[in-house]
Amino acid sequence: MRFFGLGKYRVIVLTVAMFLVFDLGVLVLNFVISSQIAADALAVNMAGRQRMLSQRAAKTLWQINERTVAGQPASGEMAELTEAVALFDETLTAFRQGGSVRGGAGVVVTLDRIDDAEAIAILQRTNAVWEPYRARITSLLANPAPDIDAVRSALDVARGANLELLKLMNELTSQVEVTAAAKATTLRAVQIGGITLATANFVLILFHFLRKLRQGDALLEQAKKETDDILVTVNEGLFLLDRNFRIGSQHSHALEGILGRSDLGGADFVDLLRGIVTEKTVGMSRDYLDLLFGERVNEKLVGSLNPLDVVEVHFDDQRGGFVTKYLEFRFNRVREGGVVAHLLVTANDVTKRVQLERALKEAHERAKGQMDLLVEVLQVEPDALRDFLAAAAVCLDKVNTLLRERTASAADRREAVIAIYRLLHGLKGDASGVGLSGLAESIHEVEDLVVGLREKHATLDGNDFLPLTVRLERLFTQVDALRGVVNRFAQIRGVVAVEPARAATEPDAAQAPQVRRWREFATRLAEKQGKHVQLHYHGVDPATLASPYREALPTVVNQFIRNAVVHGLEKPEQRLAQGKPAAGNIALYLAAREDGGVDLSFRDDGAGLQLAAIRQAAIERGLLSASEAEACDARRLVELIFRPAFSTRSSADEDGGRGVGLDVIRNYVNEWGGNIRIGSTPREYCHFRISLPRPSPQLSAGAARINGEAA
Amino acid sequence: MDEQNIQVFIDGVKNYFLQQTGVAAEVGTPYLSDAQARVAYEYTGIIGISGSSRGCVYYTAPGALLRDVLLRIGESDVTPANQSDLAGEVANTIAGNARREFGKDFMISVPVVVSGGAERISLPPDLRAMVVPILWRKHAAALVVALADKQ
Repeated sequence: MRFFGLGKYRVIVLTVAMFLVFDLGVLVLNFVISSQIAADALAVNMAGRQRMLSQRAAKTLWQINERTVAGQPASGEMAELTEAVALFDETLTAFRQGGSVRGGAGVVVTLDRIDDAEAIAILQRTNAVWEPYRARITSLLANPAPDIDAVRSALDVARGANLELLKLMNELTSQVEVTAAAKATTLRAVQIGGITLATANFVLILFHFLRKLRQGDALLEQAKKETDDILVTVNEGLFLLDRNFRIGSQHSHALEGILGRSDLGGADFVDLLRGIVTEKTVGMSRDYLDLLFGERVNEKLVGSLNPLDVVEVHFDDQRGGFVTKYLEFRFNRVREGGVVAHLLVTANDVTKRVQLERALKEAHERAKGQMDLLVEVLQVEPDALRDFLAAAAVCLDKVNTLLRERTASAADRREAVIAIYRLLHGLKGDASGVGLSGLAESIHEVEDLVVGLREKHATLDGNDFLPLTVRLERLFTQVDALRGVVNRFAQIRGVVAVEPARAATEPDAAQAPQVRRWREFATRLAEKQGKHVQLHYHGVDPATLASPYREALPTVVNQFIRNAVVHGLEKPEQRLAQGKPAAGNIALYLAAREDGGVDLSFRDDGAGLQLAAIRQAAIERGLLSASEAEACDARRLVELIFRPAFSTRSSADEDGGRGVGLDVIRNYVNEWGGNIRIGSTPREYCHFRISLPRPSPQLSAGAARINGEAA
Repeated sequence: MDEQNIQVFIDGVKNYFLQQTGVAAEVGTPYLSDAQARVAYEYTGIIGISGSSRGCVYYTAPGALLRDVLLRIGESDVTPANQSDLAGEVANTIAGNARREFGKDFMISVPVVVSGGAERISLPPDLRAMVVPILWRKHAAALVVALADKQ
């Protein structure tokens, strides 16, 4: 149970309270006893005065006696005796009962009643002596001019009482002094005891406190060390944000590396963002943080609005450029007393991950683009294409040279425009001539711009050429892309021997069980079709591939074999007539790349893709109208062979014609994120190249179910 | 790279000369240069660009032009240090103009001035930079835009 809510401070508060109690106790006792000692000192004085008064009374009686014997008036002595007796009597009464009494210089003082037993006994004895003595003097003083007998009678009583009274008052004085001394001793004892207890208590506090402080410090030190260890070791940037969006004093060491600065404690997070992200993102971030500090907002529901989930940041490299990173900021509320007090922010540098994702995406898009370009150049005579692209680069360089050099005057510029138009017009014609319709369209658009410049004529200045230069750069890019594709395409044209660098062929792979099954399947299928075939295998043992490729590639290759034997390879007599060997050749190459991906190359030396047959099949199957088929270019026609239920065979048998084959392959490749490239020359060959990425964990885990046909 | 964005940079340079010297700069015919043939005069003010497009834009000018500009604006100190500062100021004006025009979508760095040849200027690889000749009182200088659109 908590003690008045003091918790761990209970002991220290109690000991401090005791210290104060001791000190106050000593103070109070000190005050009380000091007062008593003061009263005792007064009593000692008064007791001492009683001695003097008793002697004064006796001496005055003697004087009265002398004056009376001499027949002189003794009124002064009478008055003095009256005063002495009255003072003695009221002091004695005050001693016995307590009360006021005249002190020195006429000041009235208060005497406490004497409680000490011995002093009381002395007072009683004194009273017994004093009462008759006082009575005799009182009767003497009743007569202002007493006779000598009355005086002598009183003097006789005085003789008997005087010494007794002196002795008793001596005893009283001593007794009162003893009592006062005892009280002083008590006071000293109280003071010593109280101060000793207070000191002991203080020492207790000190040691208890120090021990507790040391323990607390040790715990704090340990906690701080653990926290520091975490903050130094953790790879994430960790920090707290307050309601003013200020970064807390504690943050992980990694944060400095992530944000590229060290002065982060107390920095304004929004200001910090302002230097590294666009103003638009800064505004959105501020709104999102406001939202998170709002009490009514569900943290999980607004998570999807986080503009800093994955944000591109740019650090000025102080050399006129930027270092670009991708950071991920996650925010979690920290509540205190049910109120959102802070946000715990976790920052991660996800640059590598994002770049990898982008690279994969770009590779996909590039693969799609290359597929488009490949099918476009498919029907172009390779040598003519290479010559055209080389000429196109030269032509565009000439245009650029004209822009750079023929601009000294307006006349020069006009001449340059005419020359550029001529160059581009010629290039457009050549592009159309080799069947590169996409490029021809692009050049035509640039040509329109040049026509516009030509019409400006009189007011033509350098700035007018800006749109042309921008588009010239795009033409360069297009031609570069085409040249890249053609260069790669050239590597796979003709014989398989010109394949790009491969993984070393495993000597036994050609005899691997799966390869043997493919070979037997191809041979059996060819026999049924009245054809001859030889399957040449290079590469790794298919059984060593990673899942799901290991399970699914037999299906893919079987479909290629079926497609090549049924559609591609000619009958022996046809082949002989074309100067080819009677037996068709299938070259199969399978490589496991270093990056975990797989390359598959499948080439047959048959009839190649027959666009006319594809066109006809598309019409017959209702995929294209006759006019559409006629207008359809090579690229679209080649795409049709990957459509489900597409076949160029007029009738279906067990080996082909139903059109299930290449679409299955395309589905697999799409599922795996790979790409297919096709090369073909009529009457020469058809070549499929599949490039597959390293299988993702999800793909490996749920390896594709194999529906392939076993050989 | 699109012409509207490049025009913003060109206008930045034109505005600078017109406002500071009262003499308009003349824009030459833009052309392309590759990484092997960079255009650079004695002083070059470089601005890094990131965001929707990335790369850099730089204004490069010979000392003689910068000296004449300094004299024209009443500055008697035409030392190389001051010429360099002036190249930085032109770049700063281009950057400020660009921030006003499309600062929400672009990150524009603090300009940096380099002196000497083209080897001090690092351009994105595999990128044809656009060179826009800028003439001022018969002095040739250039604005070079090397930007690639973000994928």
